[in-house]
Amino acid sequence: MSSSICLRCLKRSLVPIEASLPPTAAQRAAFSTSPSLSANPPKKKGAVGKPVVRAGKTLKLAKNKRASTVRPPAPGERKALRKRVVLSNTNALEVPGLQDLTTDNVDGGAVKGMRGTVVGLGNDTVDALRALEAFKPTQGWSLFRRPASLVRRETAELAELLQAVKESDGQGQQQVERRVVFGEKLSGKSVLLLQGMAMAYLQGWLVVHYPDAKDITIAHTSYRPVQTADGDTIYIQPHYTAQLLGNIAKANHGLLSGMRLGKQHQLPVPVQANISLARFAELGANDAELAWPVWQALWSELTAPSQPETEGLQRPPIFVGLDGVDYIMRDSAYLDGEARPVHAHDLALIRDFTNFLSGKTELPNGGMVLAATSASNRPSAPTLEHCLSRGHAEPQLPSLLAARDRLREQCTTAQSTADLDLSDIDQLLITLPTPLADQLRVFRRKLLASQGRGIFSSETIQQVCDAFQPELPRWDPYLAIDQRVADVMGRVTARKVQGLSKEEARGVMEYYARSGMLRGAVTEGLVGEKWTLAGEGIIGELEKGAVRARF
Amino acid sequence: MTTPFHSVRTLAFRPRPSCAFRPNTVTGVKRRTFADDNAKHNALPQAQEGQTGPNMQQAEHVSEEAAKMSQIMGTGSGPDIEGQGTPVQDILKEDEEARKHAPQVMKDSLKNPQSAHNAKPSTRPFSTLARRPAPAAMTPDAFDAAELDPSMIPTELQRAAYTATSESQAPESSIIPAEKLGHKFPLPTLPLPPNSHKDHRHHPVVHQVTNLLMRDGKKAAAQRNMAVILSTLRTAPPPTYSAARPLLPGCPPASHLPLHPVLYLTLAIDSVAPILRIRSQRGAAGGGVALQIPVPLGLRQRRRQAFEWILDAASKRKSRGSGNDMFAQKVAEELVAVVEGRSGVWEKRAAVHRLATTARSNLTYGRGGRR
Repeated sequence: MSSSICLRCLKRSLVPIEASLPPTAAQRAAFSTSPSLSANPPKKKGAVGKPVVRAGKTLKLAKNKRASTVRPPAPGERKALRKRVVLSNTNALEVPGLQDLTTDNVDGGAVKGMRGTVVGLGNDTVDALRALEAFKPTQGWSLFRRPASLVRRETAELAELLQAVKESDGQGQQQVERRVVFGEKLSGKSVLLLQGMAMAYLQGWLVVHYPDAKDITIAHTSYRPVQTADGDTIYIQPHYTAQLLGNIAKANHGLLSGMRLGKQHQLPVPVQANISLARFAELGANDAELAWPVWQALWSELTAPSQPETEGLQRPPIFVGLDGVDYIMRDSAYLDGEARPVHAHDLALIRDFTNFLSGKTELPNGGMVLAATSASNRPSAPTLEHCLSRGHAEPQLPSLLAARDRLREQCTTAQSTADLDLSDIDQLLITLPTPLADQLRVFRRKLLASQGRGIFSSETIQQVCDAFQPELPRWDPYLAIDQRVADVMGRVTARKVQGLSKEEARGVMEYYARSGMLRGAVTEGLVGEKWTLAGEGIIGELEKGAVRARF
Repeated sequence: MTTPFHSVRTLAFRPRPSCAFRPNTVTGVKRRTFADDNAKHNALPQAQEGQTGPNMQQAEHVSEEAAKMSQIMGTGSGPDIEGQGTPVQDILKEDEEARKHAPQVMKDSLKNPQSAHNAKPSTRPFSTLARRPAPAAMTPDAFDAAELDPSMIPTELQRAAYTATSESQAPESSIIPAEKLGHKFPLPTLPLPPNSHKDHRHHPVVHQVTNLLMRDGKKAAAQRNMAVILSTLRTAPPPTYSAARPLLPGCPPASHLPLHPVLYLTLAIDSVAPILRIRSQRGAAGGGVALQIPVPLGLRQRRRQAFEWILDAASKRKSRGSGNDMFAQKVAEELVAVVEGRSGVWEKRAAVHRLATTARSNLTYGRGGRR
């Protein structure tokens, strides 16, 4: 750690306000709102001759005195206990034959083959994910012997996308996958993000993760305005940036220590020209004042085109993850100089992420930008919600139009509405997202009602078919749209995380039973019961009902 | 009648009953049985497949025997068993031994065939034919499918699956009463399991303890606390039993408890539960002093008292962390302390029992009038 005082010039303050704390998670809360409680208990004074003159206005009664004389917990200590992540339960049984996710089986095909089974995570993967703060205390890791997760349909899809990015290597333009996953509460969005990180890590990618966007935007960490080259004012968050740099350096230590600086950077302190990127990131992590320039320099290094033939200048693909994307798609809780709220996109860290998400910042070596929404304690972000529902509905539109056209062809030969084949429309009614399904339901009703007074005419059916032009969800014109959010979300794929299938539910319940957490045989009846009670396979609810005795 | 052992005989000598630990038994309440139980016990024994059962090798029917006999003897006029059965009169005609023991009515009818004709029932003067109502028009054309919500109408796939199953099961349905036809899923086997009712889906101890944890009618919060307690018991290291504080006899080894947290909870509560309470009868001791009378407690009452003591002890513990679940964690720590014999709840139980022992002479109060 560099000294907090420059001894030659004494330029910086002698006692940095926030550097006195060790660089831990507590650093994020750079100030405490409970100073009086954290003070040491008052010492007993000796016998005083005169009665003390009343000092303040507070009424001093015996019951108001602090009973305990032991030192109160340090700031952040009780919260740290609550937010502690436990990844192992020594009481749980070791699951025999639990396969691990390794470098050999992370390619798309192999992961697809493991669908419906639970796979473990290796020790180094767990260390990396832990450094990235990918595990959350609310998830059920503390119930099982070691971290393992279910390979579900969405996981297999993610593995195929990673494979596609990998295969696009060396074919001119590198592919970059940008998507936002959303879904119901407890449907497994954050764990899907974790699985994406684990697979990217095992494939040798550089993994960067914003563990919770809420921490960045709710004004619990220090900030400062800076001017960009374009003249915009953005707000940097030195302590949080230092924290993120530390995470990145720790999680990707092996990769970053094999790379070195390749460009000249303007830095406030002199830095060795061929310093390894791991040490460079640690430099920023250890000193909040240096964090922002180091962050900028590090990203310009990582997003430079790879030079595989030069030692230390090879650059891998990058996985950028963010959890709780709702928080960055609205105004933050920070205030600017005129006490107006600062838009989250004006925070420098968030701005970097949204540039990756929208594709404004290129990733010349390929990669994936994945963000997950948060469904519990969710802030309202109407523009994001609209973009997600539209993005979810858009790919389904062709299948709907194709079904309509098939119907239109049928009505030339049909004699009555009973002859029309409505089976694919009925199937679509189940699978389509709500706005499209509603329109389709109206269309179906009109179609069947068109046989007025028992007379069937194919012209009427054709007219009904022609009149059916399904529409994507439209923005409510009476609400102000957040144009910056709409611009960012313009080219982003939206993917909904659905409930598990019954086979997947069976796989995960067998894992529960073999861990000793679920007593009794896993029968088809039990799986069906739990699957139904879990809202058609919402995995968090399934875990609650089967393991946590919460139903 | 004076024997030197008079006083000895009034003392009942019983060995201490060995009581295995059964968490779910409720004493004093008769187990509910179902109507099917009797039928099951009274059912006739059945032979295994391919083997001869107890009532399968019996003598043939008398007419079958007679038919075989006549075939062997070559007389050729035996009773016709392929046809519609043999009238008793025909058998009696041939069998002299049977005729001797036959009832008087039959003997008479044999002597005088006219009387047999008289016994023939005459036709009824009224018709017994019931008129069946015409079947309602339930053909597919009769109702308009367009009025229904599309989700109610089976898809093509479902229709195909339904016809396939109903066709394949057609021969079977002639044997088994056709109860499957009206149901999408097979009917459950009776009697239903005891936790199949939604109001009784939890273990009885969990149910009672959840309600005791509840404050201000907030059941969901109590349920969350219960889940936290059980999860904490799951993840805590196995307890070490204390020799000074024996638990219920027959309790499982300590290493089994974390994998079965409900048993853990039940064991802690039932072990520390008092079997008595002290009732203070005012004015009974004279001089304004209350008379203390021990009263036995029922199972639920014992559990309630024990858990209230545990709750008291838990709320006095010092909280280490912050947040919603900390009280539940303190309760779980107290439960572990009870099982390990460290908890102060044991002293409360001992105090009640000690007081009840000294006050046992008051048990006669109120029995047979004034003291």
